[in-house]
Amino acid sequence: MRTAGVYFLATRIVYVPRHAIYSKVSDSAILLDSLEKWFPPALSGWRTFLQPFAPPTSPALRGISLEVKQGEAVALLGVNGAGKTTLLRILATLLLPTRGTASLAGHDTEREPEAVRRELGYHAGSDLGFYPRLTGRQNLFFFGRLNHLSDQFCAARIRALSERFGLQGGLDRQVRALSSGTIQRLSLLRALLHQPKVLLLDEPTRSLDALAAADFRNFLKAEVMARQGTSLLFASHTMQEIELLAHRVAILHEGSLLAFDTPVALRARTSSPSLEEAFARITGRRLHSAGESEPS
Amino acid sequence: MKQFLKDIFRFFQRDLRIASTYRSPFIFEAIEALFGAALFYYVALFVDSPALREALPQGKTYFAYSLVGFVFFDYVNAAVDTFDRSLLEARDAGTLEPLLVTQVSLPVILIGSALYPFAATSLRIAVYLGWATAFFGFPLGGANWISVLAVLLSTLLAFSGLGVLSAAHLLLFKRGNPAKWLLLGISSVAGGMLFPVNILPPWLQVIAHLNPVTYALEAMRRALLDGARISSIGRPLLVLLAFGAALLPCSVLVFSWVLRRTKITGTLTHR
Repeated sequence: MRTAGVYFLATRIVYVPRHAIYSKVSDSAILLDSLEKWFPPALSGWRTFLQPFAPPTSPALRGISLEVKQGEAVALLGVNGAGKTTLLRILATLLLPTRGTASLAGHDTEREPEAVRRELGYHAGSDLGFYPRLTGRQNLFFFGRLNHLSDQFCAARIRALSERFGLQGGLDRQVRALSSGTIQRLSLLRALLHQPKVLLLDEPTRSLDALAAADFRNFLKAEVMARQGTSLLFASHTMQEIELLAHRVAILHEGSLLAFDTPVALRARTSSPSLEEAFARITGRRLHSAGESEPS
Repeated sequence: MKQFLKDIFRFFQRDLRIASTYRSPFIFEAIEALFGAALFYYVALFVDSPALREALPQGKTYFAYSLVGFVFFDYVNAAVDTFDRSLLEARDAGTLEPLLVTQVSLPVILIGSALYPFAATSLRIAVYLGWATAFFGFPLGGANWISVLAVLLSTLLAFSGLGVLSAAHLLLFKRGNPAKWLLLGISSVAGGMLFPVNILPPWLQVIAHLNPVTYALEAMRRALLDGARISSIGRPLLVLLAFGAALLPCSVLVFSWVLRRTKITGTLTHR
């Protein structure tokens, strides 16, 4: 009530930008307000020199507004090129929005990137991003120290998380000798190392085997979200993963947000037996039945 | 400030650890330095004459003159080259993105990543001069080490601005290092690396006098070979510091603009 009063007075007495109000009163983990992102076209030939100055003409995100509450898990679902990674990269402060605002843990990603980075853990979904000549432990210590963690805290977190992820064997080997699945686990461990308030994961289980993927999902649900209250925004193509983890699903298509609801509500709304079918109906795609695709 | 120093030390520690996993290059580089020093010694024996010694502004022999020019030029090269090389390596290894979501800024990442290459270059110079002194009579005894340190730091400041501009160019255009081509290309002729600039045609002498490398090499030769005090190399040091004072803030502004631009165009981590 008191916050609402402050908002009322603030917006009427003196102009206060909306992002400033949000950063003071919002309890959202993530708040997107009419977020748009446009990219310039790829130029070739001599025009390559003009590339950095080319005006943005290709839309990647169009007017996305959504809120992820504290402790909530939201899945980004969409075909390749739908804008999922662009959205995650804006929240990770690696991209600037063209229009609209994005805030994470009450901080605007464009105006307070340092504060945003303090609160987020980001996993880009690739198995690159480590120094191949350093061991897994040396890599994790390096990134932990850059997040201003003490050595004792870092060591304790690495010990606890590596036991949980079954990574002890890989910690003291050079990263160049590790499998892509192990590097992926190392990358997830890095995202969790500083106990972020918000986790941004881009296809978190892509390179993991079925058992490791299931184990990681259970860990996220039981430990990270339930016990620590961490909010989660993740992009995934795995329906099983989305159904297990996500409280709500944001369906993106060609940069637009077509639906944002719980998996149950999405299925009910489209009278679909599965989330996959609901997704296909919402995006106007047709799912082929098993019989249709079989060779004659 | 304490946090900043801690952060850049982390990068030094990282690079030292990575370098220590490659053991043989240290030995090969040390041997290469011995052959390098020998090369300059025998070339100097071949071309040395009383007339040449008379023509040299600093240093008593062509060996000393050319060796200081050659090894110290490496330092200028490192200052111009290191920032964009560290950025390139991070981008190609895929570590740039994870670094950018930590709590350190890109300028800290660049400065931190430049520390080890500077230290390695200093060590390489020391090895060169060590071999030259031990085996070929390089006159290191008269060096004024405080002046040498002052010249090294001034050179670092003077040319780091160009290094930051190179990194900005790399972020924007993804390839090439025009500062290196321009400065090091011109300086190899009009910078006094292997011969004094007074033998050049007048128009090239004008370029040489506008070139900060000329002042850096002059100051280093006087500190190392003549044992000059800081007060007596005040002019070249001031030129270097003025160059750095003018260029560093501009380069930081340009870099900030470029960084923002690449976050708008989405090309920050593109190759």
